[in-house]
Amino acid sequence: MTGKMFGAPIPRTEDERLVAGRGRYLDDLGAGAYAAAFVRSPHAHARILDIDVGDALDVDGLVAVYTHDDLRGPMAEPLPLLIPHPAIRDGRTPHALAAEYVHHVGEPVAMVVARDRYVAEDIVERVRVDYEVLPAVVGVAAARRADHVVHPGMSDNVAARLLQEVGDAPAAIAAAPHTLELDLEIERSASTPMEGRGVYARWDAADAMLRMYSSTQTASGVRAAVAAKLELQLGQVEVVVPDVGGGFGVKIVHPWPEEVMVPWAARLLGHDVKWTEDRREHFVAAAHEREQLQRVRVGFDDEGRLLGLDVRIWHDNGAYLPYGVIVPLVTSTQLLGPYRPGAYRVEFDSLYTTTVIVTPYRGAGRPQGVFAMERTMDAIAARLGLDRARVRSVNLIQPDEMPYDQGLVFQDGRPLIYDSGDYPAALAALLDLVGWDDFPAQRERARAEGRRIGIGLACYVEGTGPGPYEGGHVQVETSGRVRVATGLTSQGQGHQTILAQIVADELGVPISDISVTTGDTRRMPYSVGTYASRGAVMSGSAVALAARRLRDKALRIAGDALEADPDDLEIVGGRVRVKGSPASGMDLGTVAVLANPLRYAFDEASRAATQFGGPADFDRPPVAPDDAPGLEGTDFYSPLRCTFASGMHAAIVETDPETAEIRILRYCVVHDCGRLVNPLIVEGQIHGGVAQGVAGALYERMAYDSDGQLLNASFMDFLMPYASEVPAVEIDHLETPSPLNPLGIKGAGEAGVIPGAAVLAAAVEDAEGFPITRMPISPSELFHLRRRFASGEIPPLRARRPAAPAPRPSGQES
Amino acid sequence: MKVTGTATLNAPPAKVWAALLDPEVLARIIPGCERLERTGADRYRGTVTAGVASIKGTFVGDVELTDLDPPAGLVLRASGAGAPGTVRADVAVRLADLGDGRTELGYDADAVVGGMVGGVGQRVLVGVARRMAQEFFDRLGSELAGGAPAAAEPRPQAGAAAHPEGAAAVSGRPDAFPGRAPAAPAGGAGEFVRGAVFGAVVALAGVAAGVLAGRRRCG
Repeated sequence: MTGKMFGAPIPRTEDERLVAGRGRYLDDLGAGAYAAAFVRSPHAHARILDIDVGDALDVDGLVAVYTHDDLRGPMAEPLPLLIPHPAIRDGRTPHALAAEYVHHVGEPVAMVVARDRYVAEDIVERVRVDYEVLPAVVGVAAARRADHVVHPGMSDNVAARLLQEVGDAPAAIAAAPHTLELDLEIERSASTPMEGRGVYARWDAADAMLRMYSSTQTASGVRAAVAAKLELQLGQVEVVVPDVGGGFGVKIVHPWPEEVMVPWAARLLGHDVKWTEDRREHFVAAAHEREQLQRVRVGFDDEGRLLGLDVRIWHDNGAYLPYGVIVPLVTSTQLLGPYRPGAYRVEFDSLYTTTVIVTPYRGAGRPQGVFAMERTMDAIAARLGLDRARVRSVNLIQPDEMPYDQGLVFQDGRPLIYDSGDYPAALAALLDLVGWDDFPAQRERARAEGRRIGIGLACYVEGTGPGPYEGGHVQVETSGRVRVATGLTSQGQGHQTILAQIVADELGVPISDISVTTGDTRRMPYSVGTYASRGAVMSGSAVALAARRLRDKALRIAGDALEADPDDLEIVGGRVRVKGSPASGMDLGTVAVLANPLRYAFDEASRAATQFGGPADFDRPPVAPDDAPGLEGTDFYSPLRCTFASGMHAAIVETDPETAEIRILRYCVVHDCGRLVNPLIVEGQIHGGVAQGVAGALYERMAYDSDGQLLNASFMDFLMPYASEVPAVEIDHLETPSPLNPLGIKGAGEAGVIPGAAVLAAAVEDAEGFPITRMPISPSELFHLRRRFASGEIPPLRARRPAAPAPRPSGQES
Repeated sequence: MKVTGTATLNAPPAKVWAALLDPEVLARIIPGCERLERTGADRYRGTVTAGVASIKGTFVGDVELTDLDPPAGLVLRASGAGAPGTVRADVAVRLADLGDGRTELGYDADAVVGGMVGGVGQRVLVGVARRMAQEFFDRLGSELAGGAPAAAEPRPQAGAAAHPEGAAAVSGRPDAFPGRAPAAPAGGAGEFVRGAVFGAVVALAGVAAGVLAGRRRCG
């Protein structure tokens, strides 16, 4: 008997292999391959005058050095702009190797191929590049001023500008009884997966086939992009994604310069070539996210109800725009969260700077949007002297308003319509979990002990599982073992476990009989990728649909063999049997034998499927015209639009009165991702997300100087929280099923990170009594804010300090 | 596609011309030259050990000389093949009298490099070619100055690493001219050693091919 697997908190089946060191990551592959290393720009902005390899020629083991001059045809053209959008005014993308200009420190200028990586690095040191250094453009303010432009031929640095409006927000704000204006800022962080990027390519000249391994979040995307660049047919390229040590968004970008150069060189040299990114390269040559300036104008009534919301966003997209406007588009739409905004107007500028590209990192623009909205909610509460939870409560979309159309176009080009959710229930659960109503007493007790504590909360809605589609292929071997394949890739999320759980229930087989393959174009060539919390929603639905097809076929074949109506059959424990008489039935493996009519027997079991093996119906061909041999099913899931998960976080922090150190005392999460496939894995995702949320709120930032040098491009200097800084996470689940997919599930991968900066800003603000408008915040920054507050330079929060004169909460009243 | 370069030599054009077309001299000064052999009127075959980076090997090449205009210029049409790949090149050489006892040698090369050696990247080809050309002209300078082979062996390098200093003095055939590596100068009786310029062709072809690989920027 197979237990119910969907919803069971079973341990991850991949962990035994991974934890025991039997994982196969990119750098575990390709023994004997030539090693690639890249000469990278030391300047943020420069013109390449000359590249001289004379000094490198003496290095034993040199195979080749390539520059842009060696590239022709599509290889010499800029890399693709992956997601075109009408808002893009001038979409610049990098070349595989810099053609004439470099636009950020770390941009690849030349590729070295050598016997091994040591030799390759020695050669990199000896390649001399002469540059004419040009002015750097660092930060949103400099990009907006446009004293210098990043890209030749542009008159400013605006890559894209998009306005979306619902109603007349300026008029609504002008007519509102209360208005506020906030200037907000959020800084850069990055995905920083444990394993960086990596590519290994093998060219088989005899077969004219390229086999490529990449540490990527999209096998099919890399395949198509590399085939186009190398002018190969799609059928000549196989992309296999090995174990991947984390992605968090950065590895959805493709093709990376290195990702086209390595297979190009492998084909040219007729020899395997491999490149494994090192940590510094990952800091300066991969991707970052988050940096935005925001100006919020809001009009609201006496209850704190939003009447009009007008948001201007300036988004730093770095040197190039390979991923289009997805991040600011997500910010500008997901900013609305679980609220009705009244009239809404949002406009963003996406700006070029001479820094590393900005592409989605877990949360993908949502943390910034939630920061804007939740800072606004807190400012409204402070202005009106109302409880912060109550202000949120009056603005929540109610369950009976679902599906709720926000009237905007979302990041998948489809309407922003929330499919389901119960936000009031989530808020009630959160207030209960954190003990919101008891906190004032707790604060007083702490104050009596000379301690300073504060509480904050933040809410979000997250569009997950966007299309266009994913596919599933499920096959029963004659042994009875079940092979499942889906095209999207896995970076440690536990897809092998949850997809097996889904198939186990759909098919009625033990989970131990199921093996799952992800990210291998040989097994499932049609796929999109792993991003936007879509793995479970998309591939989970696809393998469920494929398993249902297989099940129908198995019951039909078994029905013929057992002379039973398929409707009277069931599959339990990998065996098809007649309902009510378990003794009469056959193993799925036997059904698989019968599903493939044979001329030639190869073992005892296969004899049953041969032409003299048993009774046959001479009025029908062995394989019916509308049928196919084999016991397998393939299907694809393509959603109407995203399904919208949601959640609310609350945090209690303590700030040291002397040192301004910020410590998280409690961190509570109420989370709704629809039906849970595996609560253990969902909670793991939340824990990891919260860790990255805390990281982005209190620790991590990209310290660029005004010359565009990244000063902290190492784990010595980039402050990432350890387990000691990540709080214990208290979780309460709500399960509001999605009506959009066959399993009722919503995405969970990014959720934990989204409200991190917002909730911790709120808690610190509550502890300190003055507005926090810029995140992340370090102890020294808090210390300086206290001094400015003490000198009257920063106004207090009105609600917290009713006695203070002329309060102006977090910005100007207009 | 043309690539041009110049070298200034401390001798008048007539002396440079004589040296350039003296098989004994050229066999000595061509980097990596192991042997030169006349195969017909205005046709020579050369064996040069050369290579680029880790792709090294022996090229056997043919040279045809045309448009002789002593002492002002000539055109070489060269092609070579070896395990590492192939080279084809046309090189126009001009000698200009600087009037002070010196000569400016200019060349225009147009070349194609194929095979494995064509895959090492044009900057590497350029680097190797520069080195070989430099070595060639350094040795030519020494020949013109003192007549003796250049004393200083260039430091080990990818392009010319594989020719040991030879000491034997054997060469029976008047139409075969050993290079520096295997043999001492042999009698050559004033024949134009058109093929002897093959080494230089390889060097210049490297320059040309390197730029040619880009096919956009240079010209």
